[in-house]
Amino acid sequence: MKCLEKDQLISYAYGLTDESAAREVRAHLGECSHCRATVEQYGRLDSLLDEWKAAEPTPEFDVRVRQAVDVRNTGRAAWAFWNWGWARGLALAGLAVMIASGAVWFSRGHRRISTFARIAARPFHSAGAAPRPARAAILHAAAPAASTGVRLAPHTSGPSAATASRSDDNDVQALEDYDMAANFDVLSEIPKGDSRIVY
Amino acid sequence: MVTPQLFSGQGVVYSVATMAIESDLDLMLRVRDGDAASFEILLRRYRLPLVSFFCRMVRDQGLAEDLAQEVFLRVYTSRERYQPEARFTTWLYRIATNLALNAIRDRKDTVSDNADHDSEGGPVMERFVDPHPSVEQRILKAERERAIRQAVEALPQNQRTAVILHKYQEVDYRQIAGILNVSESAVKSLLFRAYEALRVRLEPLLREGQI
Repeated sequence: MKCLEKDQLISYAYGLTDESAAREVRAHLGECSHCRATVEQYGRLDSLLDEWKAAEPTPEFDVRVRQAVDVRNTGRAAWAFWNWGWARGLALAGLAVMIASGAVWFSRGHRRISTFARIAARPFHSAGAAPRPARAAILHAAAPAASTGVRLAPHTSGPSAATASRSDDNDVQALEDYDMAANFDVLSEIPKGDSRIVY
Repeated sequence: MVTPQLFSGQGVVYSVATMAIESDLDLMLRVRDGDAASFEILLRRYRLPLVSFFCRMVRDQGLAEDLAQEVFLRVYTSRERYQPEARFTTWLYRIATNLALNAIRDRKDTVSDNADHDSEGGPVMERFVDPHPSVEQRILKAERERAIRQAVEALPQNQRTAVILHKYQEVDYRQIAGILNVSESAVKSLLFRAYEALRVRLEPLLREGQI
């Protein structure tokens, strides 16, 4: 008697065949001890493979799955909120206000620096200038303090009433100019942050 | 839409009878309609099969659970697109198989580096050892299990996947064809070659069993 093909026997042993083919194999096995032994060996292989056990899920597994679903639901809820037109409009309007505020703040900072730069550009603050003279020295200076950039009237030795009056006016003007330059609070005009002014 | 609170509270009530009666298809259709309890039943029903499948495919319990979790998450997120044309398990195992094969590909070097980890009696192996047998019996059992596992792992990837689905997950070969997206005859051919290769490799153990 001719033995069956191995594929037929494996199909029979592992249920990969239909009922009519299974009947044929069963009939053959009743007469062929060799094929019967082969099928029995596949049966033992099936039992042997059962010995390979797999791990069971840990008790935390279900909790983790539920948490993952929760997180996904939360994300979807946030996205759904974004999809509402009014919510999106509100968010964009808020963003626009924030950008505008930032722009105003930034431009104000630059204007302060520019004001200061104009003051600082005066000869009084220029590099290499002589030290600022004392207030009394200006009033009694023999010559105009050109180096300081402050306008002072020429000092005359024989004062008439008119020249004395003009001289007093000049002195007052010079004193005002000096005060404006000397008492200018430089530090208050420097914006906060890393902006640095180099004289 | 399923509300998150239902899952957070774990207040879903179900019974064993419900789990037995309801078909996967019915449950999935209800999940699609926003029924959290039905998703919970599917989770209970397939948590063990999926974790077991991934354990055998990737041999790492932590990764196996991560992948099983990802399967459930994908089932949940794609519930609105679910079409009851194929069997639920075909769809489920198709997702699982793709994830497992991707994980194997990504972790190929790591897995081979750790190949001897649980063969030395690591945590995965010890979990299944009978608490009462003698040390000798434990060693023999562990050796047999290691030999079987190595024989299955030595199979080409498609044969291994087919055997794990067919033998351990008890998935019908017609369904395996749907999962692997190949013809039924191709699945049969994979299984013929796989079982024959396993018979040859495990012949010493099969002979031991005869004595």
